[in-house]
Amino acid sequence: MGKVIVITSGKGGVGKTTSTANLGTALAMIGKTVVIIDADVGLRNLDVVMGLESRVVYTSMDVIEKRCELEKALVKDRRVEDLFLLAASQRNRKDDIKPEQMLEICERLKEIYDFVLIDSPAGIEQGFHNAAAGADEAIIVTTPDVSAIRDADRIIGLLQNLDIEQITLVLNRLSPTLVKKGNMISKNDVLDILNIDLLGIVPEDPDVIASTNRGVPLVHNNGSPGAEAYMRIARRMIGQRIPIPEMRDDNFFSNILQWFSRNK
Amino acid sequence: MNFRSIFTRKANTGNIATQRLKLILTQDRFDVSDDSMQKLQVELTEVLAKYFEFTMHSVKMSLKRDGNSYVLMADFPFKNSKKRR
Repeated sequence: MGKVIVITSGKGGVGKTTSTANLGTALAMIGKTVVIIDADVGLRNLDVVMGLESRVVYTSMDVIEKRCELEKALVKDRRVEDLFLLAASQRNRKDDIKPEQMLEICERLKEIYDFVLIDSPAGIEQGFHNAAAGADEAIIVTTPDVSAIRDADRIIGLLQNLDIEQITLVLNRLSPTLVKKGNMISKNDVLDILNIDLLGIVPEDPDVIASTNRGVPLVHNNGSPGAEAYMRIARRMIGQRIPIPEMRDDNFFSNILQWFSRNK
Repeated sequence: MNFRSIFTRKANTGNIATQRLKLILTQDRFDVSDDSMQKLQVELTEVLAKYFEFTMHSVKMSLKRDGNSYVLMADFPFKNSKKRR
């Protein structure tokens, strides 16, 4: 029996879709069977970020309205074994789907696959409730800024009301240089405020834009800091004990400044 | 002024953000305004001051998430106890 994990945030633009695409791909790369579901009905994006947009024929709406079998609606990713996408309908609205219908899809998929990752839409309305309906666990994605963390806090409260107990945090787009200068909310402050377990930190990485441009998830090109961070997170998701590395500041000048202030 | 502060004269905006966020979340989570929290702090301090001596300027109060619920955390650090000496 697999696990259904909703990837959510409250605020838009913090990296839910990027995280879903990369974690789904990373889990498949380490040998797990994975389905990623786009729950953003009407504003679908996961297919584009995955580079699978031209191969989407059926959507979750077709499955719900029985125009197509669930298995047939899954788009197979050809770059890695055992990775599938269930796309969202672009022509429907979020309240065209009911939570029970999403729950049923999730229940059926987790009997076959190890991981079912759901890319939640932004917001706290119907779309979020649909995305969370079948979830056993939740991953909150946030960036280290006031608005995103405020929204994350709200979402954590809502998830707890839905009796989702296992809630972990991915802190996205952390800039080590800014943290060192004291101009970014630090990891410890975020954890202190939200009081949930940290699943991983993804540093700010310009390669994310390039990978979205090409429709190839970052983890396919190992070596970039973002790709490595997502690979580590995926390994933690399968229960491996991979420590979360402290962010190193590569800025030579600020390292010198630090050295001076330490030795004053 | 230390060596570093010559180069970083601006206030640390990370800390400003953290402090603002804490206030915002207190209001979001409990529907309690910052004013009421400060009033509560003053009143609690008055009551406690009848029984204990503590360092007024370092009194701290905050509301923290604890799993499914919230707790009111209040720090009233004692003064170095003169009585014992």
